[in-house]
Amino acid sequence: MNIELKDLRFSYGPVTALDGVDLTLGEGACGLLGPNGAGKSTLLRILLGFLRPDRGEGRVLGYDIRREPFAIRRIVGYMPEDDCLIPGLDAVTFTAYFGELSGMPRQEAMKRAHDVLFYVGLGEARYRSLETYSAGMKQRLKMAQALVHDPKLLFLDEPTSNLDPQGRIEVLELIKDISSKKDIQVLVSSHILTDIEATCSRVVILNRGKVAAEGDLEALKEVRFRLYEIKTAGGEGSFAEALAARGCRVETTEEGLLKVYLPPEMDRRAIFAEAFRRSVQIRTFVRSRTSLEDLFARTVGVD
Amino acid sequence: MPIAEQGYTHWGGRFVERRVPWGPITRLGVRMAFKRKFFKLAFALSFMPAVVFAAGIYVSERLEDFQFMFKGRPGSTSFLEVNPLYFKSYFAGDFLLFMLVMMMVLGGAGLIADDLRSNSLQLYFARPIRKRDYLAGKLATAGAFVLLFTLAPGVLFILLKIVFAGSFKILTAYPWIPAAVVLDSLLLATFFSAYTLLISSLSKNRRYAAVLLFLGYLFSDLFFGIFYGIFHNPAFCLLSIKANLQQVAAALFRVPPAFDVPWLYSLLVLAAIVAASAAVLARKTRGVEVIK
Repeated sequence: MNIELKDLRFSYGPVTALDGVDLTLGEGACGLLGPNGAGKSTLLRILLGFLRPDRGEGRVLGYDIRREPFAIRRIVGYMPEDDCLIPGLDAVTFTAYFGELSGMPRQEAMKRAHDVLFYVGLGEARYRSLETYSAGMKQRLKMAQALVHDPKLLFLDEPTSNLDPQGRIEVLELIKDISSKKDIQVLVSSHILTDIEATCSRVVILNRGKVAAEGDLEALKEVRFRLYEIKTAGGEGSFAEALAARGCRVETTEEGLLKVYLPPEMDRRAIFAEAFRRSVQIRTFVRSRTSLEDLFARTVGVD
Repeated sequence: MPIAEQGYTHWGGRFVERRVPWGPITRLGVRMAFKRKFFKLAFALSFMPAVVFAAGIYVSERLEDFQFMFKGRPGSTSFLEVNPLYFKSYFAGDFLLFMLVMMMVLGGAGLIADDLRSNSLQLYFARPIRKRDYLAGKLATAGAFVLLFTLAPGVLFILLKIVFAGSFKILTAYPWIPAAVVLDSLLLATFFSAYTLLISSLSKNRRYAAVLLFLGYLFSDLFFGIFYGIFHNPAFCLLSIKANLQQVAAALFRVPPAFDVPWLYSLLVLAAIVAASAAVLARKTRGVEVIK
């Protein structure tokens, strides 16, 4: 297992950031989702040893997060959310510098810096001063410094923040390439659901410091939620209320479409029975593929 | 700009356990200092006292060749006598101390301030280095410049004296000089490094830090001057960074101090500044800002 956490708790004074987090993450790319303040960044910082948990234990790639943070940092790459580039340097020096600090010999760190900068698409700009870099280039450079020492596990904190659409697509492609072809496990923390959906096969949803949902993304969407999109001819209001009374979550879209989330124990034929009882004509009945957005909204409890 | 112009390859090398894990930090710090405007000028000017004092040692051994310079001025060559006072004059000279401050202002003010401003501390601490390694790397950056203008010239002066005199008389007459050179150099390096990092860690803006560094040194001396002028009490020398450094240097080289105040008091003042620096740095340098 890459990451195993047991009953992890951390608080910033009176504010509890993580509360009893139990987590086991294996191979592949995993998304760490949650609204602002859910504890995503705190979790990453605990995994890196920046913060010491108040309670609980954990292991990253077999190393104890309390006792062996330096061993963890040697084999883990970290791409922070904020801009954190040292002014006055060029990309090669910057990347090689952090390679050296990871324990790479100086010359090999320099050679490796060139390689990873080409890999992330900054080959031609590698001698330019970092002050002249665009937001997209800065993101890639942060990725390069995280990759320079060839980590086994990569922590990416909001990797697409501040990027334009094209830059976002390129960084997501890079993450997909790293996680699927380069034998590097990736943990992506983000609140941009489509990014997680595009790059990760597994997901952990944090809410108020607790794990709200965890597992294979497709399975989570399939098993926990059955969503139907229904168009009726008249009587939508009372029909929706009746379905809600039977335990369904019902949303009405701007186009007048009813999105009905069925609880696991309820048969879809009950919808037709209810419509028949209320003389509501069903014009469209489509089983919708549940999106991560639906899963997130349902888990976190927001629309 | 296309992604993955070149494929990713795994690195097959081995990580090394450095005896000085902070070496790369110091190397980069020194390199970055030389990129600063005016630092090179300050660096070059800081060599002036060393050149003058080295020339003085040469002249002191060749007085007969330089008689024309002192003609009609009996006793005017006494300042060329290479003794503990000569060394103390170099190590506690106003110009050298001022240039050391200027080098810290121009090359050291951003050592921590830049990292705080750019949020790069989290990148450092995401690597297998400890806080003490980070701080040691930064201290060594500032310390290296100070030692270059104190320890290196001090040792050179002793060697030059031995070579030009053709004897070890300086060491037999004043056997404590080598130890005093080393100790005073270390004191200056420790103090200036700690003082620089203390100020640098108080601001995210290197310019503010630079101004604060300079004003701290200047005003401490100014206040001493004002209070001494009013009250005529030498104890006010404890307010001045420069005077404290000069008092301790005088004690180390065993020459009479400029002010009738125990040198240990001056050492305590300097130690207090270093301790304050350690306390502030321990608090300011974290991988992540934690507000509890």
